[in-house]
Amino acid sequence: MGVPAVEMQGLERVYRSGRSTVAALAGVTMAVERGEFVAVMGPSGSGKSTLLNIIAGLERPSAGVLRVDGEDLAALDEAALARHRARRVGMVFQAFNLLPRYRVVENVALPLAFAGVEPAARHAKARALLERLGMAARAEHRTNELSGGELQRAAVARALVADPAILLADEPTGNLDSASGATLIGIFEELNAHGQTVLLVTHDAQIAAHAGRIVRMRDGRIAE
Amino acid sequence: MRWADLFAMSLGNYGRARLRSVLTTAGVAIGTALVVLLIALATGAEDNVRRSVFSIGDLRLVTVQPFQPGANGLSAVPRTITDEVVAQLRRIGHVESVFRQFDAPLGTIVEGGDDATIRPQGIEPNAPVDRGDLLAGRHLALGDRAVAVVPGNIARLIAPSVASAIGRRVTMRIGGAVKLGSTRIGGSGTPRDYGITVIGVFDEQASGTSVRIPLDDALAAGADNRGLTPDTIKQSTGYSGIAIEADDSTNVADIVRGVQELGFSSFSLKQVIEQIDQGFGVFRGILAGIGGVALLVAAIGIANTMVMSVLERTREIGIMKAVGASPRDIRALFLAEAAYVGAFGGIVGVALGIAGGQVIERIIRNLNPRTNPGPIFVVGPDLILAAFALAVVVALVAGFLPARRAMRMSALSALRYE
Ligand SMILES: Nc1ncnc2c1ncn2[C@@H]1O[C@H](COP(=O)(O)OP(=O)(O)O)[C@@H](O)[C@H]1O
Ligand SMILES: [Mg+2]
Repeated sequence: MGVPAVEMQGLERVYRSGRSTVAALAGVTMAVERGEFVAVMGPSGSGKSTLLNIIAGLERPSAGVLRVDGEDLAALDEAALARHRARRVGMVFQAFNLLPRYRVVENVALPLAFAGVEPAARHAKARALLERLGMAARAEHRTNELSGGELQRAAVARALVADPAILLADEPTGNLDSASGATLIGIFEELNAHGQTVLLVTHDAQIAAHAGRIVRMRDGRIAE
Repeated sequence: MRWADLFAMSLGNYGRARLRSVLTTAGVAIGTALVVLLIALATGAEDNVRRSVFSIGDLRLVTVQPFQPGANGLSAVPRTITDEVVAQLRRIGHVESVFRQFDAPLGTIVEGGDDATIRPQGIEPNAPVDRGDLLAGRHLALGDRAVAVVPGNIARLIAPSVASAIGRRVTMRIGGAVKLGSTRIGGSGTPRDYGITVIGVFDEQASGTSVRIPLDDALAAGADNRGLTPDTIKQSTGYSGIAIEADDSTNVADIVRGVQELGFSSFSLKQVIEQIDQGFGVFRGILAGIGGVALLVAAIGIANTMVMSVLERTREIGIMKAVGASPRDIRALFLAEAAYVGAFGGIVGVALGIAGGQVIERIIRNLNPRTNPGPIFVVGPDLILAAFALAVVVALVAGFLPARRAMRMSALSALRYE
């Protein structure tokens, strides 16, 4: 099978606020193989977002080992971590997090811009992805002209633009109506069918049912 | 991130909060314009003064005075310039020629009446004072005796015209009472008359009382006046001054040093100009400082705007970081935005400064048509470049802390920011 897309051993994340400490992750050991579609489920506050953010390189673990696409994130400095976010992972957020000032195609191409790809090449790549996600007609629009479902598809396109080793999605359907949510999950399935590794956080069992494997979390641990 | 993308992106950011950007830029422009205007004014003034100093005389000239070095006004300690001293002066490096001068006591040209008071200057042929200012006749030449080159006003007192004064024989009375302006002063020593022939008339702009006579005539008259011989006069009184010509004006400082080492005070235009340059350096610095304060205020404006814009764009910064912007990218984005403020403000400011200078100059000339013809404001390419660079640097410095703040923001907390 080769190197897993994500590999975690005893991953911990402790938040300290004043005297009290919260262990958002209290020793997580799991792996996501390449080509897998994994859904993470669990009650609110169980550490799902923290897990995703750490894999995305948005924050660092307090302890444990984390390898993404074979690379140990602990060894990366801030600049290398930024490259990791630009190229190795793609993140989709519940809140879309697109830049309202830029056109859709520019938003989608943004990770490649930070990765130093020249405009013609990155916009071509962005357009191709938008086309694949049924968003070709929206490429030149501003984000405030898009519906929620369209925004999230644009966000998925952005997450995929740099051909990441893994697509991370934190409650991507949380702000969508059920029809748009269904479309989006269909897209995830389709992407996975073409070999894209997906790690999806949701508390919706119906959404999770589309995944190949479901991992449950509770109090910062994997609950078997 | 590529430079082109960086600048395109930050230009977009600059243009987003348009009114705020325009106001901040205007602040920089005003500061820059002030710097340009004030330095141009200082440069213009310095140029004017230098021009008029240059027009006074020869920069190669060093005048040796019969005083100890450091002489100024009342504290001057006399020293005698004897022939030995003259010989030593000739041996100083870079000295091309040495001209002795002996001033005889005050006197009058008798035919000119009461107003023809003169200061007889005994000089050698081709002395720097006796060059290129003739209205008629000729300068002193080698072997001349009992002749004089007189100023235009004296010539007109003794003859109907400047030209007809040439060749006249007149009586020069040395010593005795003379009238200087409206005051009458008693003569020194024994008055004596000498018959002299006017051979030249010079433009009295330089001096209306100096009469140039051969050095030996002056020495003889000075000796007669005090009942001495020319040789004893040379030893006891010494020469009134020595004019030294340097081989090149750049060597004047060396000669001045040599003269000082011999124990004599000296004067040179070259040194005056150096002092003027120094003085204007200070003047220019003060004016630039005033302009700089305006720029400082503008810088505070930039910093304030940038802090606000970092706050407003917190979420955007979070998103950019989340999709791969490095801390350096974020800092560069904000610094580039500040650089735009500086660059636009700098360009507008330089243009404003130049235009403002021209407008002010026109107004001044309209109010006073007899203003010195030299330009009042002088803006050279170095000033333009320096002012522009200053505006950009000031903006970058002002943007540095806000940019660093943006750079250090945590991506996650920025994403949660509303
Ligand atoms: N920045 C933070 N500071 C303090 N506590 C935090 C922070 N982020 C998350 N937590 C805590 O960590 C726990 C896990 O949070 P999270 O990963 O967001 O859970 P989930 O996504 O499963 O709802 C929660 O108790 C939350 O309050
Ligand atoms: Mg969550």
